[in-house]
Amino acid sequence: MKFSGLNILVILLALLTLTSCVSEDEYDNSKTGNFEALWKMMDEHYCFFDYKEKELGVDWDEVHTRYSSMINEKMSNAQLFEVLCNMLSELQDGHVNIGASFDLGRNWSYFQEYPLNYNDSIVNIYLGNDYYIASGLKYVILDDNIVYVRCESFETSIGEGNISNMLSMVALCCGMILDVRSNGGGQLTNAHRLASRFVDEKTLIGYVSHKTGKGHSDFSTPVAEYLEPYNGLRWNKPVVVLTNRSCYSATNDFVKCVKSQRNVTIMGDKTGGGSGMPFNSELPNGWSVRYSAVVFYDRDMNHTEFGIEPDVQLQLSGRDTEVDKDTYIESAREYLKNMTTE
Amino acid sequence: MDRPEIHLSKLLVTVLLFSQSLLAFSQDVAGRTVESEHSTLFGVGSGSVYDSYLSPYSYSGTELRVIRETMRGTRLMDGRVSYHTMVDAHASLLENRPGNVNEYAGGVRYSNAWLYDLRELASGVNGLSLFAGPAVSGYLGGVYNERNGNNPAQLKTDVMIDAKVMVRYDFTLWRRDMRVTYQMNVPLLGCAFSPNYGQSYYELFSLGNYDGNVVFANVFNSPSWRHLLTVEIPTVVGNVRVGYCGEFMQAKLNNLGYHSYSHNFMLGWVKNFGFRKRK
Repeated sequence: MKFSGLNILVILLALLTLTSCVSEDEYDNSKTGNFEALWKMMDEHYCFFDYKEKELGVDWDEVHTRYSSMINEKMSNAQLFEVLCNMLSELQDGHVNIGASFDLGRNWSYFQEYPLNYNDSIVNIYLGNDYYIASGLKYVILDDNIVYVRCESFETSIGEGNISNMLSMVALCCGMILDVRSNGGGQLTNAHRLASRFVDEKTLIGYVSHKTGKGHSDFSTPVAEYLEPYNGLRWNKPVVVLTNRSCYSATNDFVKCVKSQRNVTIMGDKTGGGSGMPFNSELPNGWSVRYSAVVFYDRDMNHTEFGIEPDVQLQLSGRDTEVDKDTYIESAREYLKNMTTE
Repeated sequence: MDRPEIHLSKLLVTVLLFSQSLLAFSQDVAGRTVESEHSTLFGVGSGSVYDSYLSPYSYSGTELRVIRETMRGTRLMDGRVSYHTMVDAHASLLENRPGNVNEYAGGVRYSNAWLYDLRELASGVNGLSLFAGPAVSGYLGGVYNERNGNNPAQLKTDVMIDAKVMVRYDFTLWRRDMRVTYQMNVPLLGCAFSPNYGQSYYELFSLGNYDGNVVFANVFNSPSWRHLLTVEIPTVVGNVRVGYCGEFMQAKLNNLGYHSYSHNFMLGWVKNFGFRKRK
């Protein structure tokens, strides 16, 4: 057979007709369509189904059966929103949200069902009026030469220069209290940048794995994640990290990073967890959806989705609160004094 | 654990340098007159982008496009091979169907093609010319979704070997010499970048975790084609070219679906040169 240009063209066109179009999911902006789209999106992308089935007994197929019976085309958008929120709440994941213009659907049981263990007014007394601010870090040197550092969020970028300057300013302090209570997270890079000031050598901090397909167990081989010590000014003296149930997501990861360090003690309540990295998506009606997509394990390949236990368990004392004292900070000061006098 | 590193950019540069060296060889026509045609086209039209990494649904909107192409004769195969280059840049502002989120897409494709004059096939029709041949193209672009947090954007880059066909028809209308040109590119095989199904860019670029991110692309997992139909009309200010550009790019890589369909009305000009290369 002699191949001419025309033959080749015909073969190419035939090849193209053999291939199929890459098309989007079926777009059905009905109540049922939105419900099915959400269920399917979670079914194919959510990363904790196996773990949640083991810990909470969540059977996602059973969830579909139970909630689909609540959907009908006559229900209002608010009613649909409520049903979808309830369905997602089965997963007890603070990284799972559904967002409409009138509300943000969420499950914040990871901290709402526990004591707050944080009083902003009392913390402000400790900070006083003349505290320093280095980007997202507020700090003050207390009477006993212990520096108290308040880190409210990892959303705001904390630069290396900010941390270095802060450490220079407090270099003569005998210990540090790093308060990350009620820090709901932010950027992992900020958390790791701060954590790198408390490690002396390259440290295994955990493993990371992502989904490779639609199946609940389709995951990549976990890859080790290391934290490199900052090549400059670091903090080698004792440090107490204060935690509560509102320490979530990137803050949970920060605690995971520093927990095993020799000079770091975690004091307070268990962290809130949130070890999945969330992705965003949407429903046919435009409501946004957020779900955990990438799993971060600790160094022993354990999940920290439901939090990290502290080294020293604390609860805020009502008696201390009455006299404007923070049990956490006072306990940390006492602990650091004992550490430095030993 | 040792992992292979991503060298797509190096591969892209290597392929394009190779194609340029082939161009230098093909242009070794000292002492001969070479015809060269340059055209610049500006387009406006509609675009539709679907990227399952960003959203399960397609976004559509307005697209702007600029195409700069050059075609010149060579001495290869008794002068029957012409060298064709094309730089095709586009930018789109897109919106989801409910109209509450925007996406921005854009990119540049650079391609080199060697087109063989199939004059025997076209000999039966006066004024008809038919060319076909391989092309090497590289694309760099991306799609950004303004609402997404940890999966806000998708990097799009590939290096492909295409099959290219060009049909020209010269005719006279209203005592003016006109030319209709139709071009079609079909990417056949190459490699493309894609994150894995649920892989975050944090893993890729902050941690450097590679997971099959350079994928073998072919006509089956990336069925795509690009069309350009133009009419060249001589006017008092020069040769004006008007036409239609249709691009239908698709990919199903690492269980992620992608398509980018666009239709553009194109308008521009053509310049023809004949020059003698210095010895």
